[in-house]
Formats: sequence, C-alpha cells, structure tokens
Amino acid sequence: MLDRILTVFRKEVLDNFRDRRSLMTALIYPLLGPVLLGILVSAVSQAVSPEARRTMTVPVTNKADAPGLVAHLENNGYTVAAGPDRPRQAVRRGDHKVVVVVPEGLDDRLAAGGAGTVDVVVNSGSLRAALVMSRVLADLQGYGRELSERRLAARGVDRATLQPLNVKSVNVARSRNLTDFFLFMIPPFVIFTVFLGGVYLAIDCTAGERERGSLEPLFTNPVDRQEFLLGKFLAAWLYTGVSVVVQAVAFRLSFELMAPAHLGLTDKLSAGVLVALVALSVPLMALATSVQIIIASLTRSIKEAQTYLGVLPLVPSMPALALVFVPVQPKIWMMLFPAFSQTVLLSRVVRGEGIDPLHVVVSAAATFAVTILLLFFARRLFEREGMVFSG
Amino acid sequence: MIEVAHLSKRFGGVTALDAVDFRAPGGAITGLIGPNGAGKTTALRILYTVLRPDAGTARVDGHDVVTARRAAQARVGVLPDNRGLYPRLTARENVRYYGRLHGLRGRLLEERIDTLFDALALGEAADRPTHGFSRGQQLKVALARALVHDPDNLVLDEPTNGLDIASSRAMRDLMRARRDAGRCVLYCSHIMSEVAGLCDSLVVLGQGRVVARGTVADLREHTGCHDMEDVFLALTGGEGGDSPAAAEAAHA
Repeated sequence: MLDRILTVFRKEVLDNFRDRRSLMTALIYPLLGPVLLGILVSAVSQAVSPEARRTMTVPVTNKADAPGLVAHLENNGYTVAAGPDRPRQAVRRGDHKVVVVVPEGLDDRLAAGGAGTVDVVVNSGSLRAALVMSRVLADLQGYGRELSERRLAARGVDRATLQPLNVKSVNVARSRNLTDFFLFMIPPFVIFTVFLGGVYLAIDCTAGERERGSLEPLFTNPVDRQEFLLGKFLAAWLYTGVSVVVQAVAFRLSFELMAPAHLGLTDKLSAGVLVALVALSVPLMALATSVQIIIASLTRSIKEAQTYLGVLPLVPSMPALALVFVPVQPKIWMMLFPAFSQTVLLSRVVRGEGIDPLHVVVSAAATFAVTILLLFFARRLFEREGMVFSG
Repeated sequence: MIEVAHLSKRFGGVTALDAVDFRAPGGAITGLIGPNGAGKTTALRILYTVLRPDAGTARVDGHDVVTARRAAQARVGVLPDNRGLYPRLTARENVRYYGRLHGLRGRLLEERIDTLFDALALGEAADRPTHGFSRGQQLKVALARALVHDPDNLVLDEPTNGLDIASSRAMRDLMRARRDAGRCVLYCSHIMSEVAGLCDSLVVLGQGRVVARGTVADLREHTGCHDMEDVFLALTGGEGGDSPAAAEAAHA
C-alpha cells in the first residue's frame, strides 16, 4: 500500500515540478509578504532612525524672530532652513514634509514674559510625515518646558510645586521598537501561505486531472482510491511545506537586507523562531491541503476550483491579522480550533514569548484529528463516479 | 476472459444499460457495436471500474469488478477513448507511472517499456514530454501504458478513431497478435469494415440492450445483408437512444 501511495506521490511531485504555475504558487507567491514587509521596515526605519533626524531639515518661517527656538532645534540635531512664504500650500504640494510657523517677534514677546503660538504644518496623510511631525512636536514642546522651567527658576519656584506628579512609562515588553510591529505581521502571512502554497498542485491532481481526462485511465489501475488520495495529499502537503519554508527564510533575508541592524529585527527572527514558525504550521498545512483537495474534487472545473480556493486563504488569515493589533493570552480551549490555535501560537513565537508545550500538543492533535475526518470525506468523494465524470 | 451478466446502469432517468449479457473469451477479438448512445462506452467503463453497475455483474477472469476491484483491474489493460496522457511527463514516464501502479519495478519495467516502444515504433518521441504529440503518437503511448503489465485482457474504446492509415493498420495488427497469443480483446468501434475484418464475434447493442450476437457470418445470414453497414442498420435501426454521455452529465 505504502509503495503505491509513494508512486502516486512521486509522480505528482515530479509532474508539478515541471509546471510553471505550480512552482510559482509554491515558490514565488510566498516571497511577496517578505518583500512587502522589508520595504515597509526600510521606509519606516528611515523616518524614525536617529540618522534621519540628524540630516533632517526643518523649514522655519520668521527664523530671525526666534533665535532661541532655532538654537534648540539645532542642538537637537536638526538643520534649520528658512521657511516658505506660504507654508500651508508648500506642505500640501509636498515641497516640505513639515514647516514650523513662528509668529513675528516671538523671542521679544517671550523675553518680555509673554506667550506665543508656534504652528507645525504637516500633511499627515503620509506615514513618514506623521512620524516627522511627532518628533518635531515633541522637541518643540521640550523647548516650551525648558522656557517655563527657566522662568520658574528665576522666580525661585521649585518645579515640583507646579508639577507634583511625574508620570513615566516603564515598558517591559520584549520588543520596544515601533518596528517590532513588523515581526508581529509575520503570522498572518504564514497562515495565508499555508492555505496557498500547495493549492495549485491540489487543483491540478484532482479537478485538473479530471478536466484533462487522465483520471479515467488512472482509476483503471489496481490501486485503491484512498491510495490515490493519500499520494496526492502528501504531494500537496509537501509543496505547502516547501512554500512555508521558503517564506520563513525570505522573511529573515528580507529583514537582513532591508532593516537597519540597530533595530535588531534579524536577531529576533532567529533560526529557532523560524523553525518554530514552520513546525507549528505543519499540522495546519495538512488540514489546508485536505480542504483544497475536497473543494477541488467537488468543483466542476479548474476555474471554479481556483475561484473558491483563491479566496480560501483570506478566511483563516483574518483572525491572524486581528491578533497583530490585539494579541490574546493563549487558553487551552483555543488550541481545539485549527487555524486559530496556530495563529495564537505563531503570534506568541514572533513576540519572543514562551509557549506551553501542552498547547502545542493539543493544537497539533486537534488539527490532525480534523484533517483525518476531512480525508475520510475526501475518500468518499474519490469513490464517486462524479469524481471522474463531472457534468 | 470477460463475462457480463444482467448488467444494468441508469443515469438519472435514462437507462444506459438494461440487463446486458455477453462474454469475450480468450483467444478471440470480440467487437461491441451499436449506434451512439447504445451503451457501449458505459459497458466498457463498468468493466474497467470507473462506473459501478446498478445491477448485474461484470467479471474479468472470474474477478468481480465491484467486489474484487483490484484483482480485476490487475488483469485488464485499458485504452479509453479519452487517452488522458500527462502532457508534462515524457512518453516513457507516462508508461512507467502505470507500470509502477501495477507493481512493476526496476530493470523488468524498463525492459518492458523499451520492448513496447520498439514494437510501436515510437522512436525519439519516447523521451519527449507528450505535450503536442500527434493523435497517432498519443495512441501509441496510451497503448503502451495499457500493455505495460502484459494483461490477459485488453479493452479498447474506439482504438482507431482519428488515426491515419498506417497507425490504424498497426493497431489492428497488434490486436490480432494479442488474440493469436491466446489473449482476450474486447473493443468497440463505429468502423464497420474494420469490425468485419477483425472480429471473431460481435455483440450488437441498441438502446441499452443486446439486440444481436454472433460471428460476422452469423449476422450476415441472419439479416440477409452482405455489407456490414447494412447488417448494422438492419439490426439497430440506426437509433441508439439517449446519449449516455449526456445522461451522465445530467446525472452529475
């Protein structure tokens, strides 16, 4: 029996290895996520990195009226340039990301003990501008605090009188950088690939064989239908596995190439984390493959199968996407739900948080159990006459 | 030997086969003829196990195609109307796959394939992917695939359909060679001149029933016609009934 299953398995692996579309689905599609995240990491880290601040030029209108403010900005590593005449239009047009608008005679008013308002003009439609704005705002507010402290000191008032409560955040998360967010984005991509990597093979060896008329002669061979099913299932499972491995490695390479080393993303995506990502997904790959074979066996044509199976990866990826923003504490009952359990476990892994071995076992057992039920159902489909001759 | 007894099959409301009996013994070429939709292909498909009968039995060398499916499958070589080759695999890989599914391995299998390809004069095409093969080349590969396990029984659905003269002749020679080696050959065809020259006995189907059977001479005598086409039309009226293919489609 094993011999015949392996014969079918080997044929499907070889046949699809020669198919450009099968290979593209397994090897090229998984690269899209890593490339996308790499570009995002690179763009965002440029906007927030200290190097970016050092070279950042801030246009300031009425520069000459605010030498104190200009000096403060320059001390904080900005290059201060003269601002445009019409700051709002200039920013809207995209000439500048941000413009600081200083009212006339600001320093004179401040010296006289008065107050003034400084506008920071920004078009927050771009992520980079928003990040620049928050940095410039923080630095200008720092300047404001400095001024008030100087005035209080001149009057002999202790700072504690006006600001008795000091609030400071202490972050104990393993990841402290904004850019670590990109690590958390990995699980949804992995889940997506689990449901996509082997799909072309799964369609080709079922609906594809039927459409090309090769299933009829194939089923005349002295091989049980369940043996055909298992051989095809194993081949699709393998392609899915390869696809997820390719993606995991690509994430690492993408961060190595595109994320600045000081963010430490590459260290956090260690070989151990990569292996855990793939290993935890293996049971789900089996489930995804059996679902694909069932759907492709039920549909009347390759096109119909592609339509359904192209949408399928979105379903399990949605919860994974939600967990990027709202992580949950793993509970044992969650491990009973295939796809969701893997989502929860993967999101722990990329956050560098430990996972309970019992959870891993329950998640794998539950997912494999459902897979076996699905395979029993698929076997019934393979026995149907409609498997060979579809209307 | 192939034996069919009281075989019936319906697709939805359409009766494709209605209590059909016939046997195809070893050492003979048995022809299954009838108009379109008479149930020929349905009968063959039940014999080679891709359809299940609603009633009746079909046996290959005594093995029931339903209850002893794999034993029956191991004893029959099949050339379906739909050749169904894998276009990305070479001719040799196509045949090797079927050989392996029949449990053949290694040197024995490779020698079988070489012998078959030599006999079928496949030439250089043997190691090319079958994508773009001519109908004749496709037939040769499908035939090699059907014969790779050297079966005692050969079932052929319209084997010469769409072939050129040389390929048709090669096909007929091969069928005769199998018969002379004591094997059973069951085939269906629309080409009456071919049937007349080839078959040791005939089973004529019409509307899912056996309407006549016997040697070519028997049927000529029975109908009083000499030309096989006249014999055919006299026996079947030229009408088959609803096309089983259409009925299958409606059923699925």
